[in-house]
Amino acid sequence: MSAEAEQSTDHGHGLPPASSVKRWLVTTNHKDVGILYTVTALFFLVFGGVLALLMRIQLWTPGEGFLAAVSYNQAVSAHGLIMIFWFLSPFAFGFANYVVPLQIGARDLAFPRLNALSYWLYLFSGILFGVSFFQGGTFAGGWTMYAPLNIPVYTPNIGASTAVLALVLFVASVTVSSVNFLTSMHRMRAEGMTLRRMPLFSWTILLTVWMMLFAFAALLAALLILSSDRLLGTQYFAATDAGGSLLWAHLFWFFGHPEVYIVFFPALGVMAETFQTFTGRRIVGRKWFIAAMVLVALQSFVVWMHHMFLTSINLQIKTLFMATTIGISLPFDLMVFALIYTLIKGRVRFTTPFLFSFGALVLFIIGGITGVFLGAVVLDYEFRGTYWVVAHFHYVMVGGVTALFGGLYYWFPKMTGKMYDEFLGKVHFALYFVGFNLLYFPMFLAWETPRRDFVYPEAFVSLHQLSTVGGFILGASFLVMFYNLSKSLLVGEEAGDNPWAYSVTTEWALPSPPPLENFPGRPTFETGMLEFRRGPGGTERSGVEAADGGEPTADGGEPSTDGGAAYVAEIEAESGHDEDHASPWPFAIGLASFVALLGFSGLQQGGFPTGLSGGFYAGLTGGGLVLLGWTLVRLARERFNGPVGPFGESWPFENVENTKLGVWLFLASDVVLFGAFIGSYVFIRVAHGWTDWHDLIPEAHVVLPGLINTYLLLTSSFAVVLALVAAERESRWGLVASLGLTFALGVAFLVNKALEWLHLFDLHGGAFAGGWLPSTNVASSTFYLTTGLHGLHVIAGLFISLYLIARAWGGAYLDDERPVEYFGLYWHFVDIVWLFLFPLFYIL
Amino acid sequence: MSKLKLYTAIYVVLFVLATGQTLVEFAGLDYWVGLWVILGLSFVKALFVAVYYQHLRWEPRSVSFVMLVGLLAALALTIAASYSIL
Amino acid sequence: MSSGVGASVPVGVLVESVGIPAQSGGGLVPRGSRVEVFQQIFEVFLVLGTLVGVVVVGYMTYNAYKYRDRDDRGDADDGIDAPRVGELPTGSGGGRKLFYSFGLSTILVVSLILWTYGTLLYVEQDPPGDAEEDLEVEVVGYRFGWDFVYPNGHTSETLRVPEGETVHLEVTSDDVFHTFGVPELRVKTDAIPGQRTSTWFVANETGSYEVRCFELCGAGHSYMTADVEVVEPRTFESWYADTSNESETANESNSSARPPEEVVG
Ligand SMILES: [Cu+2]
Repeated sequence: MSAEAEQSTDHGHGLPPASSVKRWLVTTNHKDVGILYTVTALFFLVFGGVLALLMRIQLWTPGEGFLAAVSYNQAVSAHGLIMIFWFLSPFAFGFANYVVPLQIGARDLAFPRLNALSYWLYLFSGILFGVSFFQGGTFAGGWTMYAPLNIPVYTPNIGASTAVLALVLFVASVTVSSVNFLTSMHRMRAEGMTLRRMPLFSWTILLTVWMMLFAFAALLAALLILSSDRLLGTQYFAATDAGGSLLWAHLFWFFGHPEVYIVFFPALGVMAETFQTFTGRRIVGRKWFIAAMVLVALQSFVVWMHHMFLTSINLQIKTLFMATTIGISLPFDLMVFALIYTLIKGRVRFTTPFLFSFGALVLFIIGGITGVFLGAVVLDYEFRGTYWVVAHFHYVMVGGVTALFGGLYYWFPKMTGKMYDEFLGKVHFALYFVGFNLLYFPMFLAWETPRRDFVYPEAFVSLHQLSTVGGFILGASFLVMFYNLSKSLLVGEEAGDNPWAYSVTTEWALPSPPPLENFPGRPTFETGMLEFRRGPGGTERSGVEAADGGEPTADGGEPSTDGGAAYVAEIEAESGHDEDHASPWPFAIGLASFVALLGFSGLQQGGFPTGLSGGFYAGLTGGGLVLLGWTLVRLARERFNGPVGPFGESWPFENVENTKLGVWLFLASDVVLFGAFIGSYVFIRVAHGWTDWHDLIPEAHVVLPGLINTYLLLTSSFAVVLALVAAERESRWGLVASLGLTFALGVAFLVNKALEWLHLFDLHGGAFAGGWLPSTNVASSTFYLTTGLHGLHVIAGLFISLYLIARAWGGAYLDDERPVEYFGLYWHFVDIVWLFLFPLFYIL
Repeated sequence: MSKLKLYTAIYVVLFVLATGQTLVEFAGLDYWVGLWVILGLSFVKALFVAVYYQHLRWEPRSVSFVMLVGLLAALALTIAASYSIL
Repeated sequence: MSSGVGASVPVGVLVESVGIPAQSGGGLVPRGSRVEVFQQIFEVFLVLGTLVGVVVVGYMTYNAYKYRDRDDRGDADDGIDAPRVGELPTGSGGGRKLFYSFGLSTILVVSLILWTYGTLLYVEQDPPGDAEEDLEVEVVGYRFGWDFVYPNGHTSETLRVPEGETVHLEVTSDDVFHTFGVPELRVKTDAIPGQRTSTWFVANETGSYEVRCFELCGAGHSYMTADVEVVEPRTFESWYADTSNESETANESNSSARPPEEVVG
């Protein structure tokens, strides 16, 4: 579709044309956000790839040479972090953003502004990570960030803290994104698009975001604890602590193993879609394929200790995790066979997307087989920390990336309207596949090389040189891709709506690129085939008449932008307002978070150092936080109309409105966050000796302040309940008074806590003559940090309640009390958390 | 009207349970018995808040199920990790 | 049927391979020194893995080629309904074949892992040799080297052990997470501050072997090595008798005289 056509579809949404920079700063449309993700992820691919090439140059001969030891460690660490966090998932989520709403028949995601916010948090987190290189060097302790190498005693540079904070911001982006996708995919599917009938790419994304929601919460816990150790001086990971080092491994791998599937599933989805399209056959054993994926997603949370087989964990738990690990490998066999059998009796066309997917399957099979080696614990003992592991997970993960490049070629015509050059695409694949195997296969042969070492036995020199050559070929293959895609974008042939025969999913029934509101009418699969309905009661229909991948046509005319305009007018008439596609605040919030976190990176032992740089960081923190508060309020105050129902299929959340479901999903991730904090406390206490723990706590730490706070929070919860009742009865003063009471009780909670803390800080005499500070011992660290995190939740709740009070004062919420209800969900959750913290930290 | 009464009654129950939970420590029970009683009381209180104040009782079961999955994940981490070093 | 992906072959190979280890301990389960155990299991995995990989990749490539889209292939010869844009996704049949292959791969993988589990139990619980007389050495990793503490308190930066005897190691770390490993002797375990791990090995040939660190621990990680000297038992006895509750001086230093820590990670 040409530029004029696109402009004509903008219908005055306040969204500037695609040629203007401003468009890309304010857009909230899922397709724009998808393109932003894709382009940004490719930038980070180059970033991480260049770092990898630096490493490969270093490894040309054993020993230091090209890079200094510290630089090499930084390159190793940054390469891993960038590729896994800032490239792999975001690249997949470029497609997910673009394609999933189209496939399920939604006009946009449930919360378009939050979607834009996810992107901006992602971008700014990446920039923050880039900044870390200029603050005395970035983090150099490996992407697994093992403790206690990750604390300032061993990695004192500010850049290392910034890298950790960049990850925190990245996790924020992922969490917002997961909540958004889950709400959209569960609630906003077109009629007839049941979960069982959802396209496989959408299925993989659905399972990916479910895993993300829980896994990244555990990572957030690990990162917050690490940030606190680095910036506030708590002692979780100090080498003197019996359990700190293992605690990190548990938290990290509890996230880290699901992460493997989080990055791999979307690739699997691309493989499934492209195999079906380019063999012209529906996948074999579709429901078993889905069942296998669901099983993997669930099991992924109970295999993490196979990364810890050589630590001091006991034999029983090793046996258990060996069993679960083998268990999780089996469903993949089924998926691989399903893909292979789909080839049989197909009409296989070796287009670029198929070549990449087919290649990806080959690589994944090799990665899977070498993974079984690691499942045998006795072998794992020897492979641990060697290039066998490096080679294995690159075959799996970069194998997955291979499929994602297939996805890029597959959807490029849809996203741009232009066809790529098929010949250059094949050249890219050939170079890529040869380079890949030349790079990673020799690593299996040189497997005795210790991982992350640049000193290796002379016997492996030629293998490593082969690897390096392969690395450069792999890198060069991307020059072909970038040339191909940018040239095609400018002067490529028009792709048409559906350049692929036998494609099935909805995006191919739409113009390339699809108009802003996606569809020419309300999409429905009620009859088993996609139809677009317009007019009162959906009487006016336009079907998709498609024989063997033919062009879809609407009844009585072209499925043109004109049809889109009519549909938009109809949406407006139905819901009473235009749908918005632009907001400046997601960008502003991203920027504010960036500034604030950059400021935080200057913290040491809970304070900013004196002097110019300390003042600089303090200023950034203060300015960033003020900006953040202001932009959040502006976002909340902005009038923005996202997609509204009724939606076709919403199983299993039919009667849970979008925002409410969003709040619940966020709380579910918060359960894991606090669960991981409490789990950390229990683990450290068990490692220390459960009852010996009391020796670490002063006499002055008594039950009473905790009990008083329990009463205060319980009462404030009751006050929120009263507020909701008042709102339902349309009693403005009752509402304001109840919310005011909640606020007052919350403030009292914080004041009581502050008094308690000040008292403990200021102890004299006894075993803790210097005061019981966060840095005193592990017990004080867990106490202050866990209850402190809870306190931050209380503070956030108080800000929200202030906002609600201000609006209620003006008469809001009487006709629509839902914001009060949703605030209540959050506040009660904070209350529940305290119900556990109180006994754990005050009584036991 | 009756709902408000229900909420008030639950508030009273929560208040009493919190007090009782604190008193368990002074009841002279064996430490480990006391520990499980105290944690059990926390779960009971949490359940009351979630089921009534957060209206889980009146929501589709799927919402409770999601929260339960989160809780199970956290428990799996806590229990398996702690057990691994016993 | 070719869809068996070579999984029927492995059973034979498995049985055969199981016979090989018999020489070094008898029975199904590989036993012996860590080098022997690793070698036996690794070889079986390598042979089966290569076989399965070649068969599966060959099979899929063959089919992709066989069913390539050609001009001379009319739609008539398949006679099935082609997928269309806008249809709800469904699957094709072929579930039975899928399950046969899945079942075979499951049997193969599970039996392989169970077989190695026997060795795991042996390695973890029942190291050979008379435990009473075995040498037990404490290993302490630090940035960037290793200390070896003998039962008499003697501390050294070289691990000197007798040939052919079982040596038990208790491994920990003084600072960050390291991993102790001697690739040639196939012994490896994590060195974690605040935790102790134990492992064992037998060196069947005298000579010098290199200890390396297998977990990134800072700037000196690549250089974090130490020597294992395997000597005749008699030589060892006389050397050990001469050591006392002191560390070797001269060019070796004990933990209190370590070079200052390099702070940059
Ligand atoms: Cu080390």
